[in-house]
Amino acid sequence: MALNEIQVLLVDDEKEFLETLVKRLVKRKLDASGVGSGEEALQALKQKPADVVILDVKMPGMNGIETLREIRRNHPLVEVIMLTGHANMEVAIEGMEIGAFDYLTKPVDMDELLYKVQDAHQKKTLQEQKIGLIQAATQAGR
Amino acid sequence: MLRKDVSEFPAGSSAEELRAAFKARYLSFRLLLSANNKALEIMAELQEALRGSQPFSMSLVRANTTAVSVNVFRMIQNLDNLAPGKYGILYNRFKAIEEEVNRKLASRRLPPGEELVIPLEGVDKDMADQVGSKMASLGEVKTVLHLPVPDGFVISAAAYRRFLEHNDLQNEIDRLLQTSSMEEMDTLYELSANIQQLIIRSTIPPELEQAIMDAYRALERKACEGVKISMRSSALGEDLAGASFAGQYRSELNVSKENVLQAYKEIVASKYNLQAIFYRLNRGILDEDIAMCVGAMVMVNAASGGVMYSRNPLDIRDDSVFLNSAWGLPKSIVDGRMASDLFVVSRKKPMAVTARQIATKDIKFACDAEEGVCRVEVAGEQSRLPSLHDEHILELARLGLMLEEHYGAPQDVEWAFDEKGAIHILQSRTLKQQEPKELAVLPQGCGSLRSDILLRGGSTASPGVGCGPVFVVRKDSDTLLFPQGAVLVTAQALPRWAALLGRASAVVTEQGSVAGHLANLAREFAVPALFGLPGATELLRNDLEATVDADGLKVYAGRVEALIDRSPARKNFMAGSPVHKVLEEVAEHIVPLHLIDPDATGFRPENCRTFHDITRFAHEVSVKEMFNFGKDHRFSEKMSKQLVCKVPMQWWLINLDDGFKEGVTGKFVHLEEIVSIPTLALWEGITAVPWAGPPPIDAKGFMSILLEAGANPALDPSMPSPYTTRNYFMISKNFCSLSSRFGFHFSTVEALVGERSAENYISFQFKGGAADYERRLRRARFVGEILEQFAFRAEVKEDGVFARMEGYSQKFMMERLRIIGYLIMHTRQLDMIMSNEAAYQGHRTRILNDINEALKPSAVDGYIENVA
Repeated sequence: MALNEIQVLLVDDEKEFLETLVKRLVKRKLDASGVGSGEEALQALKQKPADVVILDVKMPGMNGIETLREIRRNHPLVEVIMLTGHANMEVAIEGMEIGAFDYLTKPVDMDELLYKVQDAHQKKTLQEQKIGLIQAATQAGR
Repeated sequence: MLRKDVSEFPAGSSAEELRAAFKARYLSFRLLLSANNKALEIMAELQEALRGSQPFSMSLVRANTTAVSVNVFRMIQNLDNLAPGKYGILYNRFKAIEEEVNRKLASRRLPPGEELVIPLEGVDKDMADQVGSKMASLGEVKTVLHLPVPDGFVISAAAYRRFLEHNDLQNEIDRLLQTSSMEEMDTLYELSANIQQLIIRSTIPPELEQAIMDAYRALERKACEGVKISMRSSALGEDLAGASFAGQYRSELNVSKENVLQAYKEIVASKYNLQAIFYRLNRGILDEDIAMCVGAMVMVNAASGGVMYSRNPLDIRDDSVFLNSAWGLPKSIVDGRMASDLFVVSRKKPMAVTARQIATKDIKFACDAEEGVCRVEVAGEQSRLPSLHDEHILELARLGLMLEEHYGAPQDVEWAFDEKGAIHILQSRTLKQQEPKELAVLPQGCGSLRSDILLRGGSTASPGVGCGPVFVVRKDSDTLLFPQGAVLVTAQALPRWAALLGRASAVVTEQGSVAGHLANLAREFAVPALFGLPGATELLRNDLEATVDADGLKVYAGRVEALIDRSPARKNFMAGSPVHKVLEEVAEHIVPLHLIDPDATGFRPENCRTFHDITRFAHEVSVKEMFNFGKDHRFSEKMSKQLVCKVPMQWWLINLDDGFKEGVTGKFVHLEEIVSIPTLALWEGITAVPWAGPPPIDAKGFMSILLEAGANPALDPSMPSPYTTRNYFMISKNFCSLSSRFGFHFSTVEALVGERSAENYISFQFKGGAADYERRLRRARFVGEILEQFAFRAEVKEDGVFARMEGYSQKFMMERLRIIGYLIMHTRQLDMIMSNEAAYQGHRTRILNDINEALKPSAVDGYIENVA
């Protein structure tokens, strides 16, 4: 799987960190873009699909957990990696239970992030294939 | 063709469904393994913190606790994907443990310090959250050890926050950071300069100004009016980022009363120097997570000063005290720019100076009469004189040992002698010692050490030095003979050897992660352990006496008293502190391992009491679940392709993912079109030595076949069944599952082999046979022994053999698969001729010859570095 086929959306209110990370992901040949809030993220997902969302947990306005919940509701196939500077176990586990793919704490290790994005994308692809098969099967069964 | 398969989906046998199922399981398995490694790594970090040789903050405890729980949770989730619902009880166990951990974290929430300025004599190691780790360490030296540290105070993290709030600085800084492009170095320079100026221009809130100046006046009363002070950064959050931040911030020396507030702002501003901005940005460290505390102390106008290492920083085995010294302020040495004297002191009582190098020191730093420091020339003879006399050298060395004793770790100490000859300690922090690059100069009297090094290298899994007779453990039965106080030597760091830790004086392994279970346990039992010494089981012979130096990464022949004496007693300096207590209570639910033996009846999910237990359990059963794939899945024959190796062979392959080159269509697949690493290795073994046909059977053997075949129709080869007559490989690039059946003999191989050694795995089962029970038992034992000889863990249960191997390099795993391939072909009907011990030994010799000649396997993984 070529990396540039993976569409990544970064959501973080810290603009300078967001820009640096997007740049570094693009440099690693990912199709990455960034937005500054949960609301913007939901808008962006409506316009352009993403495979993996990297989501800061602590943001003003709609926080990470709410955003995650909305993403899971409206785009159940999109995989979400949670990101935070403040280690907080309850939030981390809550996120995982709602269906986040994984949880990373800042400082972010680039290689680790990249592995996680690849793994998350692979999970999404498999999920899509499975659904495709079930649909094909139900149609064939009619 | 594809469409046709899909239409068969409801019947549960489509190619696509099988492939999808495989890929999903394979992904889950990989994710589980990586979460497992991460969780174990963090547990090792928690244990290191528990040993408490340096101050740590609550943030460190929280960050690590969270990371462990997330990874354990991921393991459970992925195990649930592999075996839906089967281990659901793990979720309950997880919840229960998590609640305990949270309760302990919450009940011990430390009150945030709100004091703006704290006198140094009130600071100790527990206050890292208020004053930063650097000043917490120094305060401990003054307050608890009562060693000579100049009087002073710390402007706290609370003060830093107050200063920022008062000027609404955080918002303004964020704005500046956001509006700048981070691409150009020029813009970064500008940004850094702008923010620093912004801070320097800001006003200090009146209450903070008051507090700082009050503290200064208190110093004046202790020292003298108009006393000059040194001001040093002590950033909070450094232990989150690792040591990389050290030395990036500013210090101001010889500050006068008028400039105290200005210097404070300048040091706070140095949080935004270029390297620091760059570093935080690239590591994603939140700006607001770093608080700048500033330590202020009475300035020592040093006659001579420098740095002391309580041990040789370049050689972990050298316990001499090293002193670098120069005229004037220690700044010249801390900056590392000017020539200095070196003194080496032996710590053996009575302590003595064992070496001295006197440099020409014609420039020194001195306090300027007005403010700040200046460079002064040192004229004539004085520049060539030693900057310390022996009495002072020994006094310093004694202090160094006291500090080391207190912190339980070697120290890096900044010191100064004032003009009256009184000593002052200006900083003390943990010294990171290095492994000597070459054969470094050993301390006097230890010169003989070098000749008897048996092995060197590897990594420290548990610190310390241990000595005893070597005992090599290869299989379970060896553990019964393990003598008290022996050095445990084994190929892999398996958790099953944990039972020996109570009896072992040290552990040496050829393979194994220092973050693994056995390493964890060795640390818990305080047994020195050295992992990753290829060839150890060959080079270290039973009963040979050996000294294992886990810190110095060496194994010596015989008993090396000097090392055993010199092994630094590690002392827990954080013990008893509130932060340490929290960590201790929390770690109790994370680190201990109760589920050790997977064959024990208690190895059940409901018995998981800690996160470590869950990790161990989930890892163990995930392997089982993953490698049951071949057994649990039935497939349609249409999916398979017949192997062509010049001519079509009686072997079929099913490509689960990426096991073939692209564009393979039709009924056949050629050997050259297969890219599956484990499959090719196995095939090489299968074809390495032509099979001579069934061995001649003695008359009794033939009779027993007839009898068994009659009694058990399932063993009758004449019964047609597609699954029993054909040999199927299910493959992907790194995976292979082969179920083969030749007549009465049934074997299964499953293997995962690729570049990530930690994920590599082979499992092999061999069962059945048509001869009488006695002969089948003998054959199972025969195969088991051969496998153990080649580093498999083999278990013989009745007439079956179950063998496993994991964690070795790709190359090694491939060699082992070749042996399996050979064994599948060549041991299939041995049971018919296993009539007596003589025949047994004969076949054993022949088969071992074959393997060694045709397959040439390496004895051990990796290369052997034999220094002896």
